[in-house]
Amino acid sequence: MLFGRKNRKPITIPQKKVAEWKYTTCNYCSTGCAIEIGLSDEGKVVTSRGHAGADVNRGKLCIKGLLEHELFESPGRGTQPLTREKFHQPFKPAEWDQALDYTAAKIKEIQTKYGRDSFAVISTGQLLTEEFYTLGKLVRGCIGTNNYDGNTTLCMASAVSGYKRSFGSDGPPGCYGDFEHTECLMAFGSNLPEQHPIIYWRLKEAKEKRNFPLIVVDPRVTMLAQFADIHLPITPGTDCVLINSMLHVIFKEGLEDRAYLEAHTNNLAELEALVLDKRYDPIHAQHECGIDEDRIRTVARLYAKAKSAMSIWTMGINQSTHGSDGVANINNLNLCTGNIGIPGGTSLSITGQCNAMGTREWSSCSGLPGYRVLEKEEHRQEIADFWGIDPEFFPKQRGLTETDIFPAIETGEIKGLWLVATNPMTSMPNTPRIRKAMEKLEFLVVQDCYEDVETNQYSHVYFPASVWAEKEGCHTNTERRVNLVRNALPAYANSKPDFWIFNQMAKRFDNGHIIHFPDTPEGAFEEMKTLSVGTDRTLDISGMSYDKIEQARGIQWPYRASEEGRKGQNGLKGDPRLYTDGKFQTPNGKANLICVDFVNNNEQPCDEYPFWLNSGRVVEHFHTRTRTGKIGNCNKFSPTPYMEMNPDAAEELGIKHQEYVRLTSRRGDAVVMVQLTHRVARNAVFIPFHFHDCVNRLTLGLLDPYSRQPAFKQCSARIEKVDQQEAARLNAERRAF
Amino acid sequence: MNDQLKESTLKPANTVDVVEVFDPREMKPVVQPEVAATASHWEVRTQEQPYAFLSDKKVDDTNRYGQKIDLVDLTGLPANRSMYINENPDVGVNPNRNKQHGFFFTADNCIGCHACEAACSEKNENPAHLAFRSVGYVEGGSYPDYKRMNISMACNHCDNPVCLKGCPTRAYTKHAEYGAVLQDPETCFGCGYCTWVCPYNAPQLDPIKGQVSKCNMCVDRLEVGLKPACVSACVGNALDFGVVENIPENREQAKTSIPGFPTPDITHPNIRFQQTRSMPDEMKRTDSMPLKYHKEDDGTYTPMVDQKKGREKFWNFGRLSSRENPLVLFTLAMQAVMGAFALTFVGDQLNIAVLSQFKASSMYVPLLITCLAIGAAGNFMSAMHLGKPHRFYRGFNNLRHSPMSREILGVAGFMSTLGLHILFSLPANEVFQSLYSAVVGSNINDLIAVSTANRIATVFGYVCIAFTLFALYYMTRCYRIEARPFWNHYQVSTSFVGSLLSLGALLGGGVLVGTMAFNGLDYQSALATGGALVTLGIALEGLGLIGHHRDMSKASHEGAASHYIQCTTFGKTYILRNALLSINLLIALALTASAFTGAFGGALALVVWGLVGMTLVFTSLIGRALFYVLVVPTTMPGAFFWKNKGFEEHARDIGLANMPQVGVVPDLH
Repeated sequence: MLFGRKNRKPITIPQKKVAEWKYTTCNYCSTGCAIEIGLSDEGKVVTSRGHAGADVNRGKLCIKGLLEHELFESPGRGTQPLTREKFHQPFKPAEWDQALDYTAAKIKEIQTKYGRDSFAVISTGQLLTEEFYTLGKLVRGCIGTNNYDGNTTLCMASAVSGYKRSFGSDGPPGCYGDFEHTECLMAFGSNLPEQHPIIYWRLKEAKEKRNFPLIVVDPRVTMLAQFADIHLPITPGTDCVLINSMLHVIFKEGLEDRAYLEAHTNNLAELEALVLDKRYDPIHAQHECGIDEDRIRTVARLYAKAKSAMSIWTMGINQSTHGSDGVANINNLNLCTGNIGIPGGTSLSITGQCNAMGTREWSSCSGLPGYRVLEKEEHRQEIADFWGIDPEFFPKQRGLTETDIFPAIETGEIKGLWLVATNPMTSMPNTPRIRKAMEKLEFLVVQDCYEDVETNQYSHVYFPASVWAEKEGCHTNTERRVNLVRNALPAYANSKPDFWIFNQMAKRFDNGHIIHFPDTPEGAFEEMKTLSVGTDRTLDISGMSYDKIEQARGIQWPYRASEEGRKGQNGLKGDPRLYTDGKFQTPNGKANLICVDFVNNNEQPCDEYPFWLNSGRVVEHFHTRTRTGKIGNCNKFSPTPYMEMNPDAAEELGIKHQEYVRLTSRRGDAVVMVQLTHRVARNAVFIPFHFHDCVNRLTLGLLDPYSRQPAFKQCSARIEKVDQQEAARLNAERRAF
Repeated sequence: MNDQLKESTLKPANTVDVVEVFDPREMKPVVQPEVAATASHWEVRTQEQPYAFLSDKKVDDTNRYGQKIDLVDLTGLPANRSMYINENPDVGVNPNRNKQHGFFFTADNCIGCHACEAACSEKNENPAHLAFRSVGYVEGGSYPDYKRMNISMACNHCDNPVCLKGCPTRAYTKHAEYGAVLQDPETCFGCGYCTWVCPYNAPQLDPIKGQVSKCNMCVDRLEVGLKPACVSACVGNALDFGVVENIPENREQAKTSIPGFPTPDITHPNIRFQQTRSMPDEMKRTDSMPLKYHKEDDGTYTPMVDQKKGREKFWNFGRLSSRENPLVLFTLAMQAVMGAFALTFVGDQLNIAVLSQFKASSMYVPLLITCLAIGAAGNFMSAMHLGKPHRFYRGFNNLRHSPMSREILGVAGFMSTLGLHILFSLPANEVFQSLYSAVVGSNINDLIAVSTANRIATVFGYVCIAFTLFALYYMTRCYRIEARPFWNHYQVSTSFVGSLLSLGALLGGGVLVGTMAFNGLDYQSALATGGALVTLGIALEGLGLIGHHRDMSKASHEGAASHYIQCTTFGKTYILRNALLSINLLIALALTASAFTGAFGGALALVVWGLVGMTLVFTSLIGRALFYVLVVPTTMPGAFFWKNKGFEEHARDIGLANMPQVGVVPDLH
């Protein structure tokens, strides 16, 4: 009866009418998903789709990637360069030449007056690799300041540092394919379903085909923790105690891979002595890390006895005062169980930004291009020769990191700053301190796709940059896969690709006329290829080209020109794993076992500030929301900040679900809406970090001694009741988008 | 069944390409990729992967409710009809296109990542405030023994599509292709009735466009053998799709219910679930609905009240005003005028002396004209409440199924026959007669004999009474919605009939008594008759409310949650209404009794009756406003922001809703 109507109503479904698909790689996180952008006859972006033939994502995309093509026309995009004398004056529109001239003159003026290093540059993990390389050339080769870093110090510095300390070189040794082989996976402070949904899907696919135990270490009951076979709700910041205790069990019970350790590692006796100390006996360690001794033993045995076992981690490890140590300790665990360089056995850092790897490899932030360091004379010579400048122009050791640059502004050592695609007013810990530092700057350049990026309120010059597929170039993902963004559409309004901005700026410095700056990103890529050639070099991309990368939907490095006729993907398959031969990038070729004796220097909950304050990411937002905050179908899932709080704790304080509270810490205060859930412990709260004027007004951000990465995830706070109407007003006022 | 389906396993579309098919699991696609590539409905991606292809290995004869899965067998309609998607005349290449399809949701696996929602909104170009698919969650346990279960829900393309039956404009079609229940937003006039009757909140009313739209099952993708966009996008391996009753690869259950999902009995939805992880005994919602779900002995979960806001009582008078205000006024107005007409017309027909006198008086027609005007105003408000008021005439299009269409027919019939009754009552009206003579210059009898006119008027009067009964019945039927348990109670009838009696008698009786008093006649018996009806109406309303209170208090469904809100958020208002209603009833009873006995009369009695009347109007307005504001539908649990009524209200209050990317439409009135 219901079917029988003669006149069926018309069926109208939106049609996208795609005339051409352009190949790109996602510009958000480090998973490295391949996306095709659909262009209409008129060259307008009408839709996008995951590339089903790309090994990384196999056609899948997360919410951000699915809607990413909507960002090109989003509100707040910069349309033209802006300049002003003082940050409290209104901006005046300027031509590019004017703005660039003014900036170059100011940089030179500050450098002349206060010294070369008094002007600092902070970049990002969001640019394309060729742009990073070019920026490195500009800063190291032309401007010549040593205070040059990326915001990757906020997310990946500890992984880099830990890798370097253990293996002698940066570069995650494993790949997503390891999920297909592993017999046991341990995730430390990594919530894949929320942070890296596509990597989670790869893991889920692997588990559905062949189940294996999943152990999750996380103080919150995340979705991954719920799906884990074993969830270890650890006391914040004590991962190193847990790992040492696992190593204690492994050595005590003879479960270590002694043959591997003896052949391929340094420092075995010292490590063994440390972890066998009774402090790390599970009987004692349990009180420090909050995981009972039986569970520690169970997990240690499970991990050690598995034919192959792998660890992944993200900010739960990196963003702590033991970030670098935590990474080194995870490496210890995998070296001791023989799980480096084998299928399914690895230490895989799940990276943050889309091109965090690209900046690590090529930006010269922490040294010189291609994982070269300033501290080695031969590296300085090599690069100076290649660029055609005097090696004495380079400093002989690395300057300040991002997290030390702001204190140096505070002390007056740094007077001028150039920020490229980063928003410290929202992203840095303890923003009250950052705000004060910004006010002190004599000259600030903000280069960003968005004019409404919060940091722009303190700038003297604003450069409107192009975004994602308005440009062309490469990204490197978590598993060392170099992938390509094709230029799909012209730059928005009068914005320019970052690559162009750097090239133009170089022309205004003396060395810019000596060093060759190629006109196209592909030209820069060819330079990088040349610089990457080396027999022992892991970071070798010399066999790649833009066309080959697109054809293979991404190629992992090392991929050497000298190795023609490789197997897999019609010869386009790079090495899925590093260190398969047990040979490391250390002076003697052996990996270093690092002794990590745990010292608890975290700000702990106390009578005055009784709650652990934890921060992190939600799936629908990226970083400081300058992009996702304007895409309604992302933003609507969390349009204002909120705090996960335990209902029992709330009951005690008389706080109700969906009410506002005020949080205070020793740094400042914030107003958030309360979401009551047993996902968090009674003495812990969690607030997403994406929102301006929110959690980072409270965070301490003690620095890791090796990586200088801030401990965003461990500090303490107090919760106070607040007038609901006032709080609502404040919350609305603080949301410009 | 086609041979391809039995024989082949999936091979990549382009085997010479550089990348292999990544998933080596054996899949038997219903449509081979190379065949899919030939179809015009959807462009298959380069190297599309097995997960995206429909892969049903079998088709059962009937579903678990005994309905045929083969829709050609079920309906007798021809196979190989084109669906004319976007006017494309091609017939899809999917050999199973005449089988009932449905979603399969593995609740164990959903990670709440929003990929399904995003893929859907991207494909259908939905703005932030609309979504054909939404993910909410229920959670339970205590740290660290805590579990959250995410639920992704769209349209279930039910065997018994209550939306289709409810829609007055016939915007819905259940197709013999895939069993898809599709809706045409162009036909829709935005009454929102389908959003009331659907238990799953599938139809989405867009207040900006003034029309409903909903999940279209991605029939364009199905025609080429691909699963819907949401399924293809699923990152947790939770969503799947296929011929109903089929259990996908690697799955073992096909349940019809999970915690938070409304009973499948209402519509026989075409969705099946797997949920093997054990859940805590009590699962709570994070949205503002005061509902949680409790595990029964048989392992199923039933809804119960979650006292989220404690027991404190508030006024919240301002919150009584809602989008449904026009309906508050429309229903009350129609009931009042129907009652007034019935009182005067039927009273005369029954030869009740005062009413016959009144009918013969020159005030009869003015009263009915007033009724007509009030009714017209009510109808106007009701029409303006539509998303597309100028399309009001489409309301008659589904008389076959929709109680709403029938209500509209009843009301329209009432209004027009009332008008005709008035027209033919005019010749008998003395004032009209003199006016006619003065203006036209001749006797009205020259045009039509007064007695003839009266006979015709009487016929229209009876027809009008028939329409009154018809309209009133379907007005109550409109609210007897299974997906809205607070309404699905006889209290709707007692309230509507009660209002008809009390407000009708107030209006009709008021004019009657007023006329008589003005003319210095003895109105005592009129007062007694009218007063008795007012009292009866209030008593009926009160009895219904008592029964409603009793049933909702002990219910284990969303009605109990509505009643909890009634007793807390609107607690003081509710008590005030009840108290006023009780006092009013006692006074009305006493006044009526005294009118019969003549113990208390005169102007003072009229003043007290005036107060009773005002109180009656006041309690009726509060009561009807509560009726609309309180209803909690059997919708799916929401999330903390998205699909959380509490947050939506808050975002409107503080102005966040003015930013379109917040996904909440600001108040438009």
